[in-house]
Amino acid sequence: MTDVEIMEKTKSLFGDKIVEMTNPTERRIFIKVEPQNLVPLIAGLRKDLNITYVATISGLDLGESFEILYHFGHDHGSLTVRTQIPRANPHVESICSVIPGAVFYERELQDMFGLIVDHIPDARPLVVPDDWPANNFPLRKDWKYERPPEIIPGGKK
Amino acid sequence: MKFTIPIGPQHPALKEPISLRMTVDGEFIRDADIRLGYNHRGLEKLAEEKTWIQNIYLTERICGICSHSHSTCYVQGVEKLMEITPPKRGNYIRYLVSELERIHSHLLWLGVAGHEAGFDSFFMYTWRDREVVMDILEMISGNRVHYAINTLGGVRRNLDEMQVKKSLEGMEILKKRSEYYFKIGVNEPTFVARLAGVGYLSKQQAIDLCAVGPTARASDIPRDVRRDDPHAVYDEVPFDVCTADTCDVLGRVVVRVKELMESYKICDFLLRNLPAGDIAVKAPRKAKPNEFLSRYEAPRGENTHYIKSNGSDKPERLKVRAPTLANYAATVEMLKNGFIADIPLIFAAIDPCICCAERTVELINGRTGAEKIVRFSELRKLAEDRFKKLPPKRNAVWPL
Repeated sequence: MTDVEIMEKTKSLFGDKIVEMTNPTERRIFIKVEPQNLVPLIAGLRKDLNITYVATISGLDLGESFEILYHFGHDHGSLTVRTQIPRANPHVESICSVIPGAVFYERELQDMFGLIVDHIPDARPLVVPDDWPANNFPLRKDWKYERPPEIIPGGKK
Repeated sequence: MKFTIPIGPQHPALKEPISLRMTVDGEFIRDADIRLGYNHRGLEKLAEEKTWIQNIYLTERICGICSHSHSTCYVQGVEKLMEITPPKRGNYIRYLVSELERIHSHLLWLGVAGHEAGFDSFFMYTWRDREVVMDILEMISGNRVHYAINTLGGVRRNLDEMQVKKSLEGMEILKKRSEYYFKIGVNEPTFVARLAGVGYLSKQQAIDLCAVGPTARASDIPRDVRRDDPHAVYDEVPFDVCTADTCDVLGRVVVRVKELMESYKICDFLLRNLPAGDIAVKAPRKAKPNEFLSRYEAPRGENTHYIKSNGSDKPERLKVRAPTLANYAATVEMLKNGFIADIPLIFAAIDPCICCAERTVELINGRTGAEKIVRFSELRKLAEDRFKKLPPKRNAVWPL
């Protein structure tokens, strides 16, 4: 299957759900959807186009909103589904009901961007330590790491 | 009576420390839980503060065994963003180093697998042979671990006639020695019996859990970025995707032995057809606002880098997904319903580095809460003892 065939098939099957579809370079397809259409679209891709492998999920901080990119790999290249959610209410539905292997990436998103993934099977922190302060989300653009002042025990005051 | 065994998390010799908490019932593992982040370096955040050039050396340090994989994955993505194409000779040298790295990683892994199965002479053979490819890498790049051969727009070092000749000689030696690995199952039925049926991961599970690399290919999924996404030289080079259908550690050994042979073939092709010309083009300092998803087949599976530029000399976002993370979900499944004694072997089957050091395991008595520290060597001894008592599996056959 070529890029054009995949795009045509996707369009004919899920045309009403897709906001935008681009093919910037060879073997790379980007599909933009509204957040409520995300899980139905991914379920459809898995069922009808046999795209079952989610390579990773990237988060992006765009200021007013967050963008989430679901990168899929298939036998003829890769396909990315992207969606935007508002920063004030960062809720997104889990795709683990469709693809169970995505749980680690969703947990990472929660830790790093402070998104809330609804219906995630396992919501514990994955990469941040247990004593990590609340509301600190390292990959948000407004988060800066400040090294705590070094205190030498018994040193000068 | 159920016990919970925490394994890990920290050992100075491991580059990816993980904590596994296993619920066991007698010798059987009933459940496994994984906790990461003990060595999280905040690398994606750091990358946003460094320039395109500086990030090559940052990504190279993500991993020690597959250092070239990460830097290549990053560099080929940034080259797309900067709209430059490396010259053909530069590309050939870059992916030659990739394949040499795959050979060294697979040889290292085979040795670890042999060691964990209690077959130490195999370990010594493969690690001796690995020195041949390490010497070639040192000759080509000047380094044994972090080759630092990639740069934006090509590679940093050229190959001369003598180096090509010596590399080809090295390939011949390795090919001959690797034929022994092909025959190993015929000569060593005990080795095959130890590996067969351990760490079972069915094809459907591997699909659902998005396994990558040799782990997926051993479950009969022909998933290989070099074939699926034939970037750079991989549309010119003849090679086969190696799979096995046994879905266990034996299958993972078979896949890696087969891949070794394929990599020798690829290296041979690249060295014999090395085009003349430049090795690098000049790269601009900044990249236009754009995005690119870079994929690369590392020795352990697919590497994915998502790179976004914003017009400055620094990336807006660099997302890195290493293959081991993709395989953790599958590892949990593999461990379930296995034996405590198989833990080292199943660990070794996904990640060559996790077993390279002695580590401690704490056995907590579920009833009294008493803890007992067990050295990793003792755990391995347990594994060997269990194996010695076991009748050899007569029906296990070496598929090569």
